[in-house]
Amino acid sequence: MTDMGAAPLRVETRLAGEGTAVLSLAGEVDVSNTARVREAALQLLSGGTKKLVVDLSATEYMDSAGLGMLVGLLKRLKESGGAMGIAGARPRVNHLFEITGLNQILALYDDVAIALKEVGR
Amino acid sequence: MRAVAPVEVELRIPRSCEFVRVARKTAAALAHQLEFTIHDVADIELAVSEACTNAVEHVPGQECREILVRFSADATQLVMEVVDQGPGFDPAEAAEGAPTEEGLGGLGLLVIRSLMDDLEIKCDPETGTRVRMVKYRRRS
Repeated sequence: MTDMGAAPLRVETRLAGEGTAVLSLAGEVDVSNTARVREAALQLLSGGTKKLVVDLSATEYMDSAGLGMLVGLLKRLKESGGAMGIAGARPRVNHLFEITGLNQILALYDDVAIALKEVGR
Repeated sequence: MRAVAPVEVELRIPRSCEFVRVARKTAAALAHQLEFTIHDVADIELAVSEACTNAVEHVPGQECREILVRFSADATQLVMEVVDQGPGFDPAEAAEGAPTEEGLGGLGLLVIRSLMDDLEIKCDPETGTRVRMVKYRRRS
């Protein structure tokens, strides 16, 4: 699904066990579409998801609006006793995590399988 | 890297989040055209995006309807200016502190400072806010 005029982004969600879900972002995450991503994630949370893996393996671009959205989700999950992992971020997005220091806050994993295992503990 | 004649490009976009992508894609295309390295092209794209996002998100009201993005390049550097008519903000205050789970601080400015070789922010209630960013050419 894409919004007219917004950066191209496919947002997909899937359940991966009791209270666990994967949110996959394929394309570009910027200020024009972070609200749509947040809405998809909050739907998962309101449906009982406590452990969330955000799959960034197909995320080609992200800016600080995307970072803000991720930190907001992490905060919300932690407040409700949940957890969040980031999986498969490409070098360009990883670089953004590093220069902002968010690699010290976000739990980063190589891929979704590893993230699900670690977040599910 | 071949010699580059001075180049000037100006872009005016509506102050709307949907048009931030237009500015950043223009920045990336220009940087590529000017033969910046692939890493520098990515840095330039992101920095312009952050400056435009700042203009879209932190200017209150409807008095500012467009954003001016100006590029000037010569053999040594690419200068990018993002200008809006908003009242501006305190750059020192906005840039304070690293992001935490409680607050993101001036995340966009932090990104720009990390990626650019020079950054200058001028805020004036009369003339608006001007974010001037410079990326130097690296000799290959």
